[in-house]
Amino acid sequence: MSETADDIARSGAVLPGDAIPIIDCDVHPSAHSRPVEKYIPAEFREALRQGMGTQPGQGYQNPFGVQRRDAACDDPEQTGRDLLDRYGMAYGVLQPPGLSASLSVNIDAGSAKARAWNDWQAAEWMDEDDRYLGSICVNVNDPEEAAREVRRAKALHPRFAQVVVGGESCDLYGHRRYYPIYEACAEYGLPFALHPGTEGALRSSTPVGRPSGYFEWHTSIPLTFQAHVISMVTEGVFEKFPSLKLVLVEGGVAWLAHTMWRLDKNFKSLRSTTPWLKRTPSEYIVEHVRLTTQPLEEPQNPEHLLQVFDMISAERTVCFASDFPHWDFDDPRRVFPRQMDPDLRRRILYDNAAELYGLPSLEETRARMAAKG
Amino acid sequence: MPETDREPGFRLEGYATENPACDPQSPLEQAFRVLDEARPPKARSRGRLVVGAASEIVPGERRIVDDAETGLSIGVFNVGGQFFAVKNVCPHLGAPLCRGSLHATHRPGAVHEYREDFSGRILRCPWHGWEFDVVTGKALYDAKSRVATYACEVDESGDVVDLV
Repeated sequence: MSETADDIARSGAVLPGDAIPIIDCDVHPSAHSRPVEKYIPAEFREALRQGMGTQPGQGYQNPFGVQRRDAACDDPEQTGRDLLDRYGMAYGVLQPPGLSASLSVNIDAGSAKARAWNDWQAAEWMDEDDRYLGSICVNVNDPEEAAREVRRAKALHPRFAQVVVGGESCDLYGHRRYYPIYEACAEYGLPFALHPGTEGALRSSTPVGRPSGYFEWHTSIPLTFQAHVISMVTEGVFEKFPSLKLVLVEGGVAWLAHTMWRLDKNFKSLRSTTPWLKRTPSEYIVEHVRLTTQPLEEPQNPEHLLQVFDMISAERTVCFASDFPHWDFDDPRRVFPRQMDPDLRRRILYDNAAELYGLPSLEETRARMAAKG
Repeated sequence: MPETDREPGFRLEGYATENPACDPQSPLEQAFRVLDEARPPKARSRGRLVVGAASEIVPGERRIVDDAETGLSIGVFNVGGQFFAVKNVCPHLGAPLCRGSLHATHRPGAVHEYREDFSGRILRCPWHGWEFDVVTGKALYDAKSRVATYACEVDESGDVVDLV
């Protein structure tokens, strides 16, 4: 999409007039110019040289590349200009490559890699620009160690805003083996975020066979998200951890209506198999689950997207994400239907994420950005 | 599950061991046994449907009456010696609710805790399994949902009468 003169005039750190500052919940820093190697704990450097941290790939590649051709995200200053300044963003939530550390073949090497990516985010990004929020990488296959890493990272840098894991996992995330991680999240009020990218690394990315290409693979990513949400709700994770929030990054939004309705319908019939659920499943979802927008569904009739937003209580559940600098980047100025209610736009672009991550109010942020300019 | 852990006021005292359908040791087929067909009321007068002799409806049993004149279909349940009348129409899709099973269930509890309930007053719809308390008519899945209930009495000749 080419930019209009008006768009370009709006770029820069100064927030014009009554523009809504934005929180981007999905920014992908890469380590091309700032290598992660020096952050690997000394006692694991040889182990990683020996390949103990190898991760199986998922086997699917975008034939045209995953990065945008006109952008990179390997320098905090440049990304500050190309993304945050340009779109009037107040905060960008980092989603580092370490989110898939759990796939490492060796369990301790995986934990060491998670730790390295956390130190890397703190030193190379968050220390450089206070608009970046970090995502704590953990190895979910060692939940006790993962909980220790959450506490270590939070002590290391206050702007770690959530814990992030991959959608590909050994067990559904409702499984009680993950409780130590949720306890640590609850202790610091940290959301637990799910990000795709590695579905298909451990098993077929669909439960019924392997997709034949990236097109199929990418389209079916919400399947794992649905499975994890259903698991966490029915297993009672949100009863057990009443303050826990689940963030679903890059899974789209439209499937959630179906999932809520089917859960609620089955709850009426099968409630006695999950007697710990005190409310309907959809009530847990609206209170505890947050979805980020990118890659936002783009129905031929934009009105249909607004109807979906209504069905899933988007004024509470949906937060903006760009996925910068990946190929399927969403531009916050253009991705939403023009006729979208201004209050809903504000909730999605700023308020929902600010409440999720405990950030200042929109008015405070707007004043701060104006003063900076 | 120790008796003391049961929710006070819900379980009807002494009932679990008297009612084979609701005994934790009894096989499930007891709960799923085929019911007699619905019958017409023994008699009717304004606001009163005479169901039949109370002695014929033993604890754990029910009798369904179809009143051709008004189109009403009502199930009368003997729960621990007391009679409760429930409209024989599920509020969901109109299934013959009273042909469902009086089933054991789980009361709300802590996560991964199964608080068994053999009170014998939980009716599961024969179609989708929605649960209702025959004593109150309230649904277990949603406190705002319910099936209609009717007052019920045993008259001087020993017949159960629904007050419709």
